[in-house]
Amino acid sequence: MIEKEVVVKSDAGVHARPAMMLVREAMKFPCQVALVKDGVEADCKSIMSVLGLAIVSGTRLKVRADGDREEEIVDIIVAMIESGFNLN
Amino acid sequence: MDKKLRVKNFLDNTPRIDLQIRLIAGEGGLNREIRVGDINRPGLTLAGFYDFFAYDRIQIFGLGETAYMRQLPPGDRQKAYEKFFSYEVLCCVFTHDEQPDEDFCRYADKSNVPVMVTTRDTTRFISLLIHFLDEIFAPSVTMHATLVDVFGVGVLILGQSGVGKSECALELIERSHRLVADDMVEIIKVDESLLMGSGTPLLRHHMEIRGLGIINVREIFGIRSVRNRKRIEMVAMLEEWDSNVEYDRLGLDDKKYTILDIDIPYITIPVRPGRNIPIILETAALNQRLKKLGVHSAQELDRRIQEWIKTENHNK
Repeated sequence: MIEKEVVVKSDAGVHARPAMMLVREAMKFPCQVALVKDGVEADCKSIMSVLGLAIVSGTRLKVRADGDREEEIVDIIVAMIESGFNLN
Repeated sequence: MDKKLRVKNFLDNTPRIDLQIRLIAGEGGLNREIRVGDINRPGLTLAGFYDFFAYDRIQIFGLGETAYMRQLPPGDRQKAYEKFFSYEVLCCVFTHDEQPDEDFCRYADKSNVPVMVTTRDTTRFISLLIHFLDEIFAPSVTMHATLVDVFGVGVLILGQSGVGKSECALELIERSHRLVADDMVEIIKVDESLLMGSGTPLLRHHMEIRGLGIINVREIFGIRSVRNRKRIEMVAMLEEWDSNVEYDRLGLDDKKYTILDIDIPYITIPVRPGRNIPIILETAALNQRLKKLGVHSAQELDRRIQEWIKTENHNK
């Protein structure tokens, strides 16, 4: 199991489109991927779970993965969140 | 989401438990946080006994307390109020629609202690309040699961993402069962034997179906297809069919799944093309109701067979 912390910076938070981008990346990996906010864990492969976390700008998240290629996916997710999803 | 309970939350008109209270003084203290789910009757305190004064709890003034305050000579009353409000009192509630006097309200305003009045009688108000507080302070967990009311049995569907939980729920809704929450279920332990599940307010009654995207179940299927909360009485784990795993063929032994230290009847359902999971879940829910009534199909058949073997042996 590997876990990394990241703070969401994009003003729009994680609404439907960014949520879908996260889920789409996570689905490419065989391991379990989760986002944790205030102790509440959401499956990063489920759009509704990610949306349900209500992630806004400034939210501190833990990105957690367990299984094959866990390190790779955690780095990808953290980079996506840090880059603000390049949506603009 | 802000999970802290503040005094102002009592004044929200929650449709589930309406405390029927209104604020009359001490507006400045509405943001105070309620940390313990206990109450205090301040009768002894007003009479001058300040040992063990639980000022950080909700103070309930019943008919006795109000009558006592009213009969005090004005000078003593002032002194009593001064002493009372010298503590950091959390908030006060007067029952029976009894209004405290102006002095009391003035002291409350000065020390920012919210004062509220309820039309209910003391016992009823306290029991409602405890119920209200118990639910807020109850242990809770958020699970990646789907909760459906199937024939009145709250079935929590678990399984890896992509195994078909949402599709299964959709078919159940189509068959007139009710969706509570999809993908994210908030579970609270209301009592040592009772788990209550609901959806997060933000996602309420929305689902994601691969190929369709996000849908609003309430809008599509109507109000009868949803409910806001449901007691969890059964856990069903959907699993990809694995030919190396032995699945339960008899159902003689009841398995349990533990959530927040409560054991819930548990079944594992292997998923494979051609297996109609919603119908299996419907049957499992009905079977669970039967078991609750004391009818255990598998055990009963086994007993009949054993009895038959015994008589056959006897007749030899």
